[in-house]
Amino acid sequence: MTLFDKPFDRRTLLQGSATILGAAAASSVPFAGAFGAGFPDGDISVTVPTRAGGGADRNLRAFTGIWKKYLDATFKPDFKPGASGRVGYEFFMGKKEANGQNLLFGNMGPEFLNWVVKPPTFDLADLTYFARVDTDPGAIFVRADSPFKTIDDVVAEGKKRTLNVSTSRLAHPASVGLLALGEHTGAQFNLIPLSGGKNTIAGVVTGEMDLGTLTSGSVAAKGAALRTLLVFNDENVAGDRLNNAPTMNQKYGTSLPPLLSSRAFGIQTSVIKDHPDRFKILNDTIKQVFADPEYKEAVIKAKGIWEYINYGDMDDTAKYLKGIEEVGSKFKPLLTGKPA
Amino acid sequence: MEEVSFQMFAELFFHTLGFWWIIIPAMLLGLIVGAIPGFSAANTIIILLPLTFAMEVEQGVVFMVALYASSRMGAGIPAILVNIPGTAGAAATPLDGYPMARAGLGQQALAMSFVASTAGGLLTTIIALIAMPWLAQVAFFMHSVEMIVVMLFGISLIATIAAKNTLKGLIAGLFGLMIGAVGTDFVYETPRATFGFLELYDGIPLVPALVGLFAISEAFLVIEGESILTRRGKELMDNPSWKASIEGIRMSVKRWWHITWCSLIGLVIGVIPGAGASIASFVAYQQSRSYSKTPELYGTGHPEGLIAPEAANNGVTSGTLVPLMVIGLPGGATAAIMLVVLQFHGVNFGPQLFGERPEIGFGIFMAMAVTYLLMIFTILPLSRYMTKVTIVSTAFMAPVIISFTLVGSFVPREFGFDMALALGFGVLGYIARRTNYHVAAILIGIILGPLLEQFFLRAIRMANGDLTVLFSSRIGNGLWIALVVTIALPYVLDHLRARRRRRETA
Repeated sequence: MTLFDKPFDRRTLLQGSATILGAAAASSVPFAGAFGAGFPDGDISVTVPTRAGGGADRNLRAFTGIWKKYLDATFKPDFKPGASGRVGYEFFMGKKEANGQNLLFGNMGPEFLNWVVKPPTFDLADLTYFARVDTDPGAIFVRADSPFKTIDDVVAEGKKRTLNVSTSRLAHPASVGLLALGEHTGAQFNLIPLSGGKNTIAGVVTGEMDLGTLTSGSVAAKGAALRTLLVFNDENVAGDRLNNAPTMNQKYGTSLPPLLSSRAFGIQTSVIKDHPDRFKILNDTIKQVFADPEYKEAVIKAKGIWEYINYGDMDDTAKYLKGIEEVGSKFKPLLTGKPA
Repeated sequence: MEEVSFQMFAELFFHTLGFWWIIIPAMLLGLIVGAIPGFSAANTIIILLPLTFAMEVEQGVVFMVALYASSRMGAGIPAILVNIPGTAGAAATPLDGYPMARAGLGQQALAMSFVASTAGGLLTTIIALIAMPWLAQVAFFMHSVEMIVVMLFGISLIATIAAKNTLKGLIAGLFGLMIGAVGTDFVYETPRATFGFLELYDGIPLVPALVGLFAISEAFLVIEGESILTRRGKELMDNPSWKASIEGIRMSVKRWWHITWCSLIGLVIGVIPGAGASIASFVAYQQSRSYSKTPELYGTGHPEGLIAPEAANNGVTSGTLVPLMVIGLPGGATAAIMLVVLQFHGVNFGPQLFGERPEIGFGIFMAMAVTYLLMIFTILPLSRYMTKVTIVSTAFMAPVIISFTLVGSFVPREFGFDMALALGFGVLGYIARRTNYHVAAILIGIILGPLLEQFFLRAIRMANGDLTVLFSSRIGNGLWIALVVTIALPYVLDHLRARRRRRETA
């Protein structure tokens, strides 16, 4: 009897498949035990709650490209997009071991606003953003040949008709900025969430949307194709890269807090207590990256704005999140579509 | 800026050809990863990013483009031979490709698929190279309303499938649409039918659905026999020869016009940011069937039913690069990854790119054209020898299909859950086939349903709930008319043919 004429049924098939899969899984076991005893013990896995190819990807690669010099480890981005970052965070907190080898690279602003709108399944105290990488203010922008030359044109038109505004997602600091502008000026805006920065810009460039609101770093990266009209920060530190647009507070005399997106590395809070030595290594080497001139070169080469690179420690991130929580609570009914 | 002329393109062509040492390995790699379910050009480029970052920018571009173009062609191989569409772009390929393979015409089917891929890809790349500024304008006119109608072109295939068994066809299509609605909504991110599974928040992942419905259910079926081939198919495969591949090439060359217009459908859809190969291949299939003289043969191994999606999904490849290069907007996932690499190398996008760095601006399309040209040489050997897969006993074939597809389900998102999901879809597909429900109708609902919902919600939200927005644009209205015509046309033609037959017999 040969294998070709052996009787074969569905049970045998499933057993065969299980054997093949089992063998494949078993073959990876020796590698798992082959790492050394020091830290980092192998690759550093970085969960990114957005898709590959976006702004977070660009920033992470620029940062880890330098960080690996000091940490002597390879960084493996693990993109887990979905539900405005919820999938990535829940995955990180629920399935990644708390050992210092697993990090999260999130955009604190929009993602924390998400939790204000709808809390996660994990306790927020169990997650700590321990190193801020940048602070990127929201901005209002139009395409280069738009009839809106200034924010005054936008506001004037917004008083005549409701303007459609693309945004990455409703729960986003830039969306909050736009709502604040509408509230202050009486202009009518209709926020259209387009799932991600690329789509937000595409909505404006293709002319489907009247204007867009997004992190200004992504807007500046598009160069002359877009024109920035307003920035949600105390000062427009990017200057002519954002068309010397005024800030909302300068223009309207408001006292709006800076509406920043802020990318940061997160870790399970238990790591700080259980592995203080590892946490110290992570922190110390991160600080070395910011001092490295090669990092500045990498940021500028990737069309980033160096002035937005802004290290912050745990206290800074906690302060930032408190501000986001307050702003999010204020605009929660508008962001959820559920009147208070 | 260097003057755009024939001489410049000729120089660029020979310059790009000089990168053969990058193109050929990348092309072979693309064919392999394209043929493995779950792998794609996008995730392979992500894995190889350190390599592309380390390369000179021009070399990196050539490498990525060659891999991208060839992976599309590679994806057709398992779709035809073993009913495994490894990517959504190849989802329409097995509808006619697999019946051909089962009938012992695998060589012809592969040859046709390869000719449609290379000719369609080459043609649309040349058109993109020449007509880039005008093509980029398509993105400025195809907004949500227009995209709703484009989606309906694809979704109307459900009605076509339902024509054979109206009730079961519509039930299958609606079931697919319901499955497609799983996940968080596009505006407020409210979870729907996720049953608490985090893995379903981003909707039903396509690869597990694809491989489950098509490949795993097929594996469950084929183990009931000794071979996937029909009796006639076995006879044909007993004496394989080069003739069969040459016949496949001849059959496709004869249908050059079909390749041309289906690849153009792909090109235009590829230019629109947010659209993609899955939409293009279903729309091309639907269009091909609507205007066919033998629509009733679609789904049984009709050559044009195979050529249409393959030509279209290769047309998309060059299309996605047009908005990337001209306006800096990637037309698809792979183009988005290329954007990261090009930005890393400090490349500025937009019209100025073609003046400042023509070797990148025009070169990206020339690299694609050269890749497609070199791919022509793979047609004969690949179609001749890859087909041998179909003669493998189901005793080996079925477990290998299941193992490969389960691993393939895991790869895109690295969730073990997706493997279980693929098995679940396999059981669903098996039950559907056993009870004569068409799995393709379910799949169309799963793939196109969420896209339709996304564009619909966007259009309605922009119009503050006013449904008349669906008829508010001239292009949209033109597309609505075209949709009605293409749906009604087969019925009108059937009626006319029947009347003619009655007259002739009277």
